Amino acid sequence: MEGFVYVLFIVVLAVNALLSIYGIVYRRSLVKKLISLTILSDTIFVSIILVGFIFKYPVVPPVYIGVSGEETYLLEHGSDPLPQALVLTGIVIGLAVNALIAFGVIQVYRLTGTTDAKRAIRVLVEEVMEE
Amino acid sequence: MNLETLSLNLLGLLTPFLVILAFITPLLSKLLKSSRRAPFIIALIGGVYAAMASTVVFCYEITSRSPLIYTYGGWPPHFGIVYEIDLFNGLLGFLVAWIMLAIILYSSWYSKRLDDASWYFTLLLGLTAGVLGCLYTGDAFNFFVMLEVLSISTYGLVAYLRNRAEAVEATAKYALIGAVATTMYFLALVIIYSGYGTVNMAYLAGLSSAEFVVKEPSLRYLSLLAVSLALWTFTFKSAIFPSHFWLVDANPEAPHPVSVALSGLVESVGIYAAGRFLYTIFRPNGVLAVYHSVILIVLVTLGAISGVVCALMMLNQRDIKRLLAYSSISHTGIVYMGLFAGFLVNNSAVEAAITGAIVHAVSHVIAKTALFMSSGLFIETSGSRDLDDMRGVGRAHPLALVATVISTLSLIGLVPFIGFYSKLLIILGYISAGFVIVPILVIAITALSVPGYMKILSSVAFGIPAKEYKRPSGETWVEVLILLIALSLLVLGVIFWYIMPIFQDTTSSLISGAGDYINSALERIPEELRSLMRGVS
Repeated sequence: MEGFVYVLFIVVLAVNALLSIYGIVYRRSLVKKLISLTILSDTIFVSIILVGFIFKYPVVPPVYIGVSGEETYLLEHGSDPLPQALVLTGIVIGLAVNALIAFGVIQVYRLTGTTDAKRAIRVLVEEVMEE
Repeated sequence: MNLETLSLNLLGLLTPFLVILAFITPLLSKLLKSSRRAPFIIALIGGVYAAMASTVVFCYEITSRSPLIYTYGGWPPHFGIVYEIDLFNGLLGFLVAWIMLAIILYSSWYSKRLDDASWYFTLLLGLTAGVLGCLYTGDAFNFFVMLEVLSISTYGLVAYLRNRAEAVEATAKYALIGAVATTMYFLALVIIYSGYGTVNMAYLAGLSSAEFVVKEPSLRYLSLLAVSLALWTFTFKSAIFPSHFWLVDANPEAPHPVSVALSGLVESVGIYAAGRFLYTIFRPNGVLAVYHSVILIVLVTLGAISGVVCALMMLNQRDIKRLLAYSSISHTGIVYMGLFAGFLVNNSAVEAAITGAIVHAVSHVIAKTALFMSSGLFIETSGSRDLDDMRGVGRAHPLALVATVISTLSLIGLVPFIGFYSKLLIILGYISAGFVIVPILVIAITALSVPGYMKILSSVAFGIPAKEYKRPSGETWVEVLILLIALSLLVLGVIFWYIMPIFQDTTSSLISGAGDYINSALERIPEELRSLMRGVS
């Protein structure tokens, strides 16, 4: 049962990632592209937390080294905390990137009057032609 | 204080110092409202410090030849973040830091055109920290963080002229795909961590060639997946064929100093990371087994495609910066063709080709710096990026024109310049292994790109001026700076046979120094812990 849940979870994550890549590539609206980007990064963040739960590494991960006796109980029954630290860093950086891209989208809207990527380019080309 | 302690101290302070300087720039320029030069002076302090630190580190590497390790917070490798420097990243860091200093000086000229330069210099310092952090770090996750610092700074810098719709539009495209690329590197790290339980580069390198890992087929496919994802990010950053489009869109719209950084520094990071991953972390004969050669051949093919395609694309460009961006991609293609020669069986051939690739990376960065800087001058004087409207503008800037000619000749590969030796070494390496397709391609790329460069020269230098260009006063020092950068190409070319041993040692530290790289990091781990870690002898 447990194994089935994990497999299902991985499949859901993979489908999510593929859908978000579809969104980034084929959606014309820059806002929807940005939303797809956040979905993609969140999917990957969840998957690294999953890694902390289910995988048994061939080597001992950093926090496990040198721990013996009664303390191993916690380590054997809890998840590896290092991936969670990585995810925290990733979320903070992702926030900065998303804020910057959101600014770019707003600025495109202010200057061209649309958030549609193709239409924005058409507006730009027309402006150049008029000059 | 001996050289090792000095270089360790300078190195440990490098990224934190640059980031602190970056964040106090806006604050200080608010406090010192009267001084418009304050942001530039802060950036200059950062640039000088970075150049000094990287020079000391590089000198230490040349004299001692053993990797230099700085442990942040005193945590040994694998438990904490370390900076690990061998000759390969020492050389690239040295180059990048000095080019960055030149960019900061050049920005002092350019920033007079900006309303508020404080954020510009903040981002420029962030870019310096990001590039040097990427090059010096010995931790794959820290590399990701620094890659994001670098990316965020470049997104901000490309869109800096935020009221120009083209610039913002190019940034939106670049940033969206760039964010996907760095996320893919994060995914690659997830996969690597799930297989190896570590993100430290040296320990990963030790594990990926350890016997119990090599025998495991599941780890082979897992590493293959991770390496392919990571390499997509690196080819994106170094603008190689399938993902080169961002450079040609972003480069013309960016402020002139930023074009230099995009074409020189960001591409160098991509080249460095790909080399580090394929020659140090996942070595030939390691866990990737036969797939290692396949990956190298694919990268050489991609390099060849981007070399040929972008040399052809140069022919029908009218925008000078777009033309130079295509030329950058074509030259990075040549670097890739040389750097990933590891699939050849003949060892001395591999060494020659990789030495050629490293020399070519250096010569290309210097030449492109001079070209982009002088094209910036020409554009500001003529008021247009179109080559047809720039006819004869070089006559207003004679020194910059000489620099343009010198760096163009070096890019084409004429004899007294360093660009000749780099192509020669790549060609000699492949020919001595009996692999003649690549030499023919390198010569073809050179021949195809000559008309593109001639287009610049015929318009800027030999064209008859359509109007009288006003020569701005008090800007001669910018031209002198550009000329000095271009002359270094000639000097390096003349003394090439004396400095070639440095490049050869860099190559051997890359292809056969992996053992050194691993051991000097793992030696830092205390004895009691080492016995508990698998794969550490």
